[in-house]
Amino acid sequence: MIEAHLPVERLSIILGEVKEVKVTQRSERRTRVDVGADALPALLELLKGRAGFVHLSAISCVDWPDDGEFELVYHLWSYELNLLVSAHARIARDPGVYVSIYDIYHPAGFFERDIHEMYGVFFEGAPDMEKFILTEWDGPPPMRKEFDSEAWVNDHFDWQDYRPDWLVELEQQGGGVVIPPDEQRFSRRSEDEG
Amino acid sequence: MSNSDQFPVEIEQPHHKGNGSGNIFSRVFDELTAFCRSRSMFILHYCTGCGAIELPPAMTSRFDMERLGVSPMVSPRQADILLITGYVSVKTLKRVLLTYEQMGSPKYVIGICSCTVNGGMYWQSYATAKKLNDYMPVDLYIAGCMPRPEAVITGLRELMEKIRKGEANGWQDYYRRYDYYLGHQQRLFGETWQTPTNVVGEARHYGLLGDETQGVHTELLKRHQKPLEALEMRLSPADKAEMEL
Repeated sequence: MIEAHLPVERLSIILGEVKEVKVTQRSERRTRVDVGADALPALLELLKGRAGFVHLSAISCVDWPDDGEFELVYHLWSYELNLLVSAHARIARDPGVYVSIYDIYHPAGFFERDIHEMYGVFFEGAPDMEKFILTEWDGPPPMRKEFDSEAWVNDHFDWQDYRPDWLVELEQQGGGVVIPPDEQRFSRRSEDEG
Repeated sequence: MSNSDQFPVEIEQPHHKGNGSGNIFSRVFDELTAFCRSRSMFILHYCTGCGAIELPPAMTSRFDMERLGVSPMVSPRQADILLITGYVSVKTLKRVLLTYEQMGSPKYVIGICSCTVNGGMYWQSYATAKKLNDYMPVDLYIAGCMPRPEAVITGLRELMEKIRKGEANGWQDYYRRYDYYLGHQQRLFGETWQTPTNVVGEARHYGLLGDETQGVHTELLKRHQKPLEALEMRLSPADKAEMEL
């Protein structure tokens, strides 16, 4: 057992034990750790067991379609150090399978289930990979970048007619809305295409 | 301020049209019913979104909705108004429709906030319904993001006025054009969508069976509809053990 006087020292010793880890001090209480996907569970185990990072606040997922990767971010909080460590790991977008950390942090079960339905990442060893919030959704995982929400909306919904009387009056007087709602709605897309 | 200042009561002159009987008392009873109905309404507030936060001040002493004869109700079967306060997600919309169909007629729907009108700030979201009046008849929209309690009160008074004049007939529209509403519901929820309510049967009961009550969509519903079955009563082993103790 390594003895260190200050908890912060203990953290730096632990981070030194994991190979190929990049530590960035973001601010006084925020530390970003970039780690390889194979080493991440070991890092979490060490942080929880030896540095008092008992609280997993959330797991977030970032989609990087150009790199063909998903970035998983594990947000860990230590009540002893009053420090937030966010551990970043990247996994391949295809097939998008990673290992569950349910054994280390039980709340991870919910976060992983959520990421599974929103991004389609499968977590091996998770207790439950069923639908969580989108129980009545049968489309593709909606948070992936390739999912075109606007196109889906156009396929499934009608738009409210937007022709109020006061607008007609204004238009007759030569005024009116500068960009009509129909054009405004798709302005971003036309920029992308052009 | 006296009550008559707040609610200008217009005394309508009897028209000589329709049945042409010329009896000035022929519509008295209908008008009286409509008048009484408009002044005693229970609202079921289906608080789906942010607009719900404006209702407590509208109901409580600051704006006091009850002075209009409007008060909250906890069950759909006893409510007159369904108040939908904010965005309706696709999942929620199913529940809203179930609630709406459970309400006894005459029933009125008020959509509060921009989201019920056109999707509001969630116009691009895959998860929320954009246009509430595609799925159920809406008698009144109160636009705003969110409308203040004054606007809610104004909207309610507007609805009261419409009811008194007999113009708030959205619930009849649901029976007369059920096929249209069902079509939109099926488009969003899939072909197998069904509710426990027999809307066509109710339409027949109320004498509101129109040309558009039945159509292609109700045919589709008939094909998929499963008869209602009573829920099975079953005790789990844990419950049994508890009872034996």
